[in-house]
Amino acid sequence: MSTFLILLPLILTLLFSLATVPILVWMERRVAALIQDRLGPNRCNVNGIRLGGIVQSVADMMKLVFKEEFLPSHIKNKFYYLAAPSIAFMSSFLTFMVIPYADNVTINEQTFTMQALPTDLGVLWFLAFAGLGVYGIILGGWASHNKYAILGSMRATAQVISYEVAMGLSLVSMLITYGTISLNEMVTYQSQSFFIFPAWGIILQPLAAIIFIVTAFAETNRAPFDAAEGESEIVAGYHTEYGAMKFGLFFVAEYIAMAASGALIVTLFLGGYQLPYLSTQDLINHFELVLWLIITFAAVTSLLFLAWVKKHNILVMNGLNETKIYTTVIVGFTLFAIIVMSYYALGFGNASTVGVMLLQFAVFTVKLFFLHFLFIWVRWTLPRFRYDQTQKLGWNILLPLSLVNIFITAIVVVGVNYGN
Amino acid sequence: MQNEVLFAILALISIVSSIVMISAHRPIDSALSFIVTLISIAALFALVNATFLFVVQIIIYAGAILSLILFIIMFLNIKDENLPDEKYKNRWLLGTSIIITPFSLILIDLILRSDIAVHALRDEKFGTIKDVGATLFSQWILPFELVSILLLVALIGAVTLSKKEA
Repeated sequence: MSTFLILLPLILTLLFSLATVPILVWMERRVAALIQDRLGPNRCNVNGIRLGGIVQSVADMMKLVFKEEFLPSHIKNKFYYLAAPSIAFMSSFLTFMVIPYADNVTINEQTFTMQALPTDLGVLWFLAFAGLGVYGIILGGWASHNKYAILGSMRATAQVISYEVAMGLSLVSMLITYGTISLNEMVTYQSQSFFIFPAWGIILQPLAAIIFIVTAFAETNRAPFDAAEGESEIVAGYHTEYGAMKFGLFFVAEYIAMAASGALIVTLFLGGYQLPYLSTQDLINHFELVLWLIITFAAVTSLLFLAWVKKHNILVMNGLNETKIYTTVIVGFTLFAIIVMSYYALGFGNASTVGVMLLQFAVFTVKLFFLHFLFIWVRWTLPRFRYDQTQKLGWNILLPLSLVNIFITAIVVVGVNYGN
Repeated sequence: MQNEVLFAILALISIVSSIVMISAHRPIDSALSFIVTLISIAALFALVNATFLFVVQIIIYAGAILSLILFIIMFLNIKDENLPDEKYKNRWLLGTSIIITPFSLILIDLILRSDIAVHALRDEKFGTIKDVGATLFSQWILPFELVSILLLVALIGAVTLSKKEA
């Protein structure tokens, strides 16, 4: 049991980073289709089962993995050429290691941290490895011996370096507010309430939240800051010369970086794994009531979802009857979950610690996927910034704003503490 | 035991990569092996629980300064034929290393007698963020502020010098 609890955050890190990439690709396409008023990929199927189109992105992943590895003959520095995608992948994967997925769990007097690395470095660790990710881009562009690649990697590097400044400074104001660098303590802080609102970072520090979210978009080279791979100007930027899984690593690295910044935004500004107004202790104390609420919620949402599936899943495919299978699976799963939950809710067993932990995982996941949706939403709504506009926004607007924000935050924090 | 093995590996990596850094022919090789040196030194900090030093070493040196240096190397676009002809490089390296051997022996002897080597690091808090902050802002507050003014002067100097050209 204790080994499992130590390994659990590591497994969750793998799930949230690697395993969500196909789902993110699917979300990207379907949300893009939603915004552009079309359907997106929904025909790919395994014997009639389409899973809303997720099968398509699994097929794409398989294609990338099994494609022939090809090394362009003009590459002189094979080592750097091959090292670049792995550096990009590794550093974006490592940034995920400090995100807390739930509060510390205490079972039999033993406390387990629910972050993959039990360290208090928190945001500093994130900054360190987000900064190292630049080397993948620099090396990839440099070793490709291609003008477009060099241009793309120079744009990306300049952008990441200049936005790191504003990002770090907006983090400083959050550090002053929370008084700690440990991400878990920050989330615990956010379980308090601020007048009638939950004391989430986005309510305490709206300006820092906006600056951080904008810089996070720029750090991950996502639209509207994706001039580094602007296809109308420089083909594909720094990964022009890459193919098969070497390209796949860059591609996955970009999505993991996006997921990691989303997770950090959730942790810093949206209360992390907390439900508003409810601290971990409240949840544990009123666990049975919480369970009854979850049971009602599960029943209502699955019924609504079933009605939605019946109404919209009208495409007739060869093979199995999709709607019928979904109905069976959803009804069966919901019934099973309700039976298990009522067993504990009626007081036959005590699983409040583990139950609250699972609830917090779920809350974190929901918030994280909302952030993913936001990233995709912005990508398909805003046009790409011109390169000089990107730099101007970073240095002339975000940097002074974050400095002013630090100044104001420091005055307020000192004033509040002076009053006490 | 575990720590000694890790220390030996990391020390070996940092020594080898720093030798590569000074002896490499192309500037990009030097810069990249310097990154390896910095990261392995950061790992050495982590080995003695100096978490803040570890992370700051990576953020500032490996993350910020070296990426600027690489950026400039990329801008210069140095071709192989533009690099200086280093025909006698190995002889130079050998000669200088023979000359500095006695000095380095003295240095090693001094380090072995120093306070930290004799009474190994026992303080758990060494290099954590609280410890570093408290030391900087109480004991060394004046030098700290002076250094920050110096950095500000250098920054403004760089800006004015670059403005003059335009």
